[in-house]
Order: sequence, then C-alpha cells, then structure tokens
Amino acid sequence: MIAPAAVMIFLFFLMPVVLTAIFAMTNMSTATGISGGVWQVTQGAVNRLKADMPELASGIAEPRFVIDEEGLAALEALKLKAGFTAELRTSHMGEVFPSRREAERVIKALKDRPSTREVKQISDLFNRSVLNTRFETRDELMASLKRLGFTLTPAEQETVAKATYTGWVWTTENFRIIANSPDMAQIFLNTAFYVSVTLLVFNVSYALFLAITTHYMPASTASIFRAIWLLPRITPVVIYVLMWKWLTWDSGFISMFMGQFGYPPKNYLLDSAYNAWFFVILINGFIGASMGMLVFSSAIKAIPQAHFHASEVDGASRWQQVRHIILPQLRWPILFVTCYQTLSLLASFNEILLSTRGGPGKATEVWSLAAYHTALQNYTGNLEYGLGAAMALVLVVVGIVLSLIYLRIFRYDTLISKPLIED
Amino acid sequence: MRILLDKFSKSFGSTKVIEDMDLEVGSGEMLALLGPSGCGKSTTLFAVCGIHRPTAGRILFGDRDVTNLPSQERNVGVVFQSYALYPHMTVEENIGFPLMVKRVAAADIKKQVADIAALVHIEDLLGRRPAQLSGGQQQRVALARALIRRPDVLLLDEPLANLDAKLRLEMRSEIRRLQKETGITAILVTHDQVEAMSMCDRIAIMKSGEIVQIATPSQMYNDPRTSFVASFLGNPPISLLKGKAEQGAFVLGENGLRLPLAALSGIPDGTALSLGVRPEHFGTAGGVPVEGRVVFAETQGRENLYDVVLPDGSVLRSIQPVRDDVKPGDSVRWNLDSASTFVFAEDGQRL
Repeated sequence: MIAPAAVMIFLFFLMPVVLTAIFAMTNMSTATGISGGVWQVTQGAVNRLKADMPELASGIAEPRFVIDEEGLAALEALKLKAGFTAELRTSHMGEVFPSRREAERVIKALKDRPSTREVKQISDLFNRSVLNTRFETRDELMASLKRLGFTLTPAEQETVAKATYTGWVWTTENFRIIANSPDMAQIFLNTAFYVSVTLLVFNVSYALFLAITTHYMPASTASIFRAIWLLPRITPVVIYVLMWKWLTWDSGFISMFMGQFGYPPKNYLLDSAYNAWFFVILINGFIGASMGMLVFSSAIKAIPQAHFHASEVDGASRWQQVRHIILPQLRWPILFVTCYQTLSLLASFNEILLSTRGGPGKATEVWSLAAYHTALQNYTGNLEYGLGAAMALVLVVVGIVLSLIYLRIFRYDTLISKPLIED
Repeated sequence: MRILLDKFSKSFGSTKVIEDMDLEVGSGEMLALLGPSGCGKSTTLFAVCGIHRPTAGRILFGDRDVTNLPSQERNVGVVFQSYALYPHMTVEENIGFPLMVKRVAAADIKKQVADIAALVHIEDLLGRRPAQLSGGQQQRVALARALIRRPDVLLLDEPLANLDAKLRLEMRSEIRRLQKETGITAILVTHDQVEAMSMCDRIAIMKSGEIVQIATPSQMYNDPRTSFVASFLGNPPISLLKGKAEQGAFVLGENGLRLPLAALSGIPDGTALSLGVRPEHFGTAGGVPVEGRVVFAETQGRENLYDVVLPDGSVLRSIQPVRDDVKPGDSVRWNLDSASTFVFAEDGQRL
C-alpha cells in the first residue's frame, strides 16, 4: 500500500516545493497580478525603453495628434460646422503633430474659424497619444504605434511589447537580485549569525548541560527542572513573546528595575541592534533548549546503567564520565538535534516577527522573515511573490546542503550500522 | 586483602534488603555469594564496590574503613553481568580506561594493556570494538579491564550468566586461574551452585538478605545447615521426603518406610520432619531397602537418573552408573544409605 503515502508525500511535501520553484522563476508581484496582464505605455515603460530606443521613448511619452478618418467621423457626429471636416479631410488628412499646440495651430487656421472652445473640442478628437492607454492585445498596441508614425522592426516590436507588458513573465532575475543585492547579503549574514549562535549556545550546548545536570539529580528534582524548561515550548508563542515584551518594554520590568538606579526607561528590545539580537536569541534559545534537553535526557537514560557503574569503579570522575561515557554515546542524538534545529531555525521566524519584526531597522531581519516580508507583507504594499519564492527556494537548498554536510561530519553511515552490543 | 563487612545493612527506601550482615573474606580468598535472585547478593557486591552506600554498618578493606569512600577511591575491579564494555571504545581503550582516567602516560597504558591482554589471551583483539567480539571474548576484556588497575578486590557479578554452556566451563577455570595467578581477593556473585562450588574457596549461601551458611564447598555439600542449603547445592538436587518422628526413627506415611536415625534421639514422637536424600545415596549400595515404581528415567551418558515414586506418593531421585535393565513403569527395590541422609525440622533446621 504505497500509493496513499506517495500521494500524501506528493501533495503536502513535494507540491509546495515544486510550486515555490515555479513561482521563483517568475516576476509575480502585486503589480503584475498572478493572472495575465495587458500592454500599457506607462511612464515606467517609457523609462525602460529610453536606453534601447530613445527616439521612440520620447515620442510615445508625448501626446500625438493624427488627422485620420476615425477622428473625422467623430467630428461629423459633433455636428459643428461642416466645413471643418471637409477642410481637414482635403488638406490635412494623415498629418501627424507631435504636440497639441501644433495640432491646434492647424485647426485654428481653418477657414471656418472655430472658436477657442471648438478648437479644444476638435483637437481632442484627434488625440492619438498612447501614454497611459491600455491595450488588451499586443497587436492593438502595435497598430496604434504604427498609426502614430512609428515603424518598428519585429525585434523592436518585441522590445516595446516587453517593456509595456503589465503581467508576469518567466525570468531568472530573482536569483540575480538575491546574488547581487547588498541587502540580501546582510540578511544572509544575519541568518548565519542567528542560526549558528542559537543552535550552538542554546539548542545543543545548553540542552546538553540541562540533560547532563538533570541526569545526576534525584529523579523528582530532575523532572521539576525539566518541566520548568518545557514551559517556553508549551506556552503559546504569542503569549510567550508577549511576556518578553512586557519584560523589555519602556514601562516593563527591566525599565522599572533600572529606574530604581536612575536610568531613564527605554525599550530594551528595540533600543539597539545589540540588544535586539540578545533578546531574539534568548527568546528562541529558551524554546529550542527544551527539545534538545528531552532528546538528550532520554538518550542518556538509554545508556545502560552498568556503564555508569563500571566507569565509577574504574575510577572516572563525574567530568570524565560525561566526557568519555556520555558524550561519545550521544553522537546520534546530537546529530539529530543539530540537523533538526538548524532546519527549524532557518525556517521559523514567528518569534522574531512577533518580537522585533526584524527591527530595529533591519537589524534582526533573517532570511525566512525577509522572504515573508518580500512576498506576503511589507510596508510599500508591492508584494513580490516571485522574489519571495526565490528566497524560500534558496532556503530549501541551503537546508538540504547543510543536512548533507551534517550527515558527513557525524559519519552517519557508522551510526546506522550494527547494534553496538550483542547479548 | 581482607574484606570485612561488619553489621552491614542496606535498605532502599522502606524496603530492607540486608540487615546486620557479617562477612569476612580472607586475603587471596575467592568467596562465592550464592543464592536465588532477590536474596541480596548483588546488593552486597555493589556495596563492597561502592556503587551502593550501606544504610548502616562498616565495610573494611584490610584495616581501612571504606564505608563512605566513593567507588572511585576504593581500588576495586568489577566484572558486571553484562560486562558493561564501552561500545564506542576499542578493546584496548576499554582495558586502558581505568588507567586513562588516572592520567597514566599513554605509553605506560599501552604496555600494561598489552601485559594484561596476554594474561587473558586476547592480544590479537585489541583493535576491535566490543560489538565485534564473541561473548567469551567480551568476558575476557571485562576481566582485563577489572584487573588492570591491580585492584585490592575483584568482584564478579554473575560473570558467566550470559555465556553458552561450553564457554561457561572454559571461563570458569580461566577466572579461577587468573584469580590464583594474581592472588587477588575475589567475591563471585552467582545463582549457579556449580559455578560457586567449582570456582571458590568458600561459599556464603544467602536467602532473603541473610547468610544462611558459610563454608567450603565440600563441607557445605556434606554438612548443610538447613534444608534450603541442602536443596540449593547438588545437581541433580536432593529429594526431600515429608514424614514424622517415631521412637527415634523417621517414618514416612502410614506403614511406610521406617528409618532409625541417630539424629532423632530425644525428638518427641509425631514431630513433623523432612528427610533429605541425595540421588547418589539411593541406588544399589546402602542398607535400607526401599520399594517403589520408576516414573522417569533419563540418561546423561555416564550416568542414569531415575525418579522413583514410593507407595505414599513421595519421590526419590536416584543416580546410578548407566544400566539399561530399568524402564519407566518398572517396580524396583533399591537401597538407601541411611547414614548419608539429612533430617530437617519443619522450619528447615538440620537435626
């Protein structure tokens, strides 16, 4: 019965990665939408065209006035003096004016002498500007450019179409942005710092310290200690972080306490980048330590009691027991916790989002939080799904590479070999 | 080095395991603590090596009071039932561990490990890990590790329990050889009477936290103090017949076997007794004829073992040189050597 499991794995594990990879190869954002787009000569599009086709860019940026049949028909429908239509058709048909002023000069000079109001009315009818006009298809855009007197080669048409298209397109631009942006480099360094410090100091070292010290305690005392250290894990994260905020707010405990010594109250959490990191690592470390503690404690329990007795009668001190008996036999749990916690630290940002939101400034912005901000929530409101997905994909790749490195370092193949003792 | 347990008591919480036990093991002697599981023999051993602290009483090594010393400072070598070899270390590291934690120079460790490995015949296994060793090899490694510190005392906790029958025989004599060669004082904890009898100078037989009798193996076999001791030693085990005293004789049932015994003079008539007859004392030799029916016969190669049911339903075991003229169901009339029997009072005390 492999089919149901395969379907589940595909739907819930592979599909998200595949979709992320697909989104990562697009430039989807709030601006492009996720369905198709239209062709529109925006100021942005004009700017994009300036480099390759300066003439065209300046041309389409200006209003254009063309005396054509369409305009004449509309003029007739206005039922002004019939002479206007007749004269424009006979003497000015097909003329293109690069500005309203030039077009109006010609209209003003008509024999029937239109009034100023009429001049304005008539010139509007011949306004053929493409700036800020939406074209549902590419051909409509090209036809209208042609009418304006721009004759474009197919290659040029392609450039114009690309510059004016408002929908999303396939692109690898996201990865170029990630690779080249100094912001991204800073976020990457933040992440490396955050993950390695939290992992080494709390999730592994501190967890080992807790597991080993509680191992040498009487059982009842040990379980009280373990229960206390589990509290951060079992408290709902919003409440847990809120308690940290109470502690660090400018009207919180630390401020009140420091006030006793004459220090003015301040927000210790967001006061400086140094403090923000300090608390972000504590908040995450206290949660992470409990898992390592549980895993290591049970692994130490699984070491036969006789090994402890034997090492004691062999003359080993507590420290030698820890160093030579416990730690070597914890290789597999340490690998597991390191691997698992690396991935979990890389991917989770809820504690940081709830506490500092990546601040102050972008001091505590880590990769996953930045991906979230880029793709799903940011101040400017332009959510760049494609870029965000590309960032998430980088995270997936980094996670896989790190896991493989860990397996190599801890010599996974020796860990899954035969049972260690036969009896 | 002499070991002395003086009024030693140990309880876990409210459970008293051992109370006021006195035990002396002479220097260079090998003593067996023999008893059924739960009798407190391992607890005694763990107290001697310092893993358990006594609740009361003293433990002396020679004249040194070690009662409150942690095991690290006692200089004892212990072979655990599971051997407790460290799975992540090679044989060499395992054996050298007691020296390594004493910060002996690496070259010294190497040399001493080589010496001790030669003593227990595992010179060529030093590079292996415990998982790559057979049970007997693991046993030798554990012995070497226990001996390398030249401990004052060697403690063996059921060291042969995890070995197969053939290896057990081999290691029995091997351990005894090592103990004699090193002249170390040793305590062997076991529930196997054969091990205790074959390996040790003296046996202390224990029951529910008390030493019932302490004697050399042959003394204990030939002169058991209680029916418990008598039934614990000997394979096949002793047969116990329930009967009564009557005019200085042991009487089995109504009109059954009647056995005049010197030990019964002065015992009032009607006292409930049990008679212990070892299988080798019931057979072709002996003075008192006993009739019964063979219900079970088993050949052991050199000897045959028979169960004989007496008319009142009690069973006597007999072990005899191989013969093929008796089959289950046959009625036999064999002789019982009344001088070699033991009579026990109802509470198990020998009369």
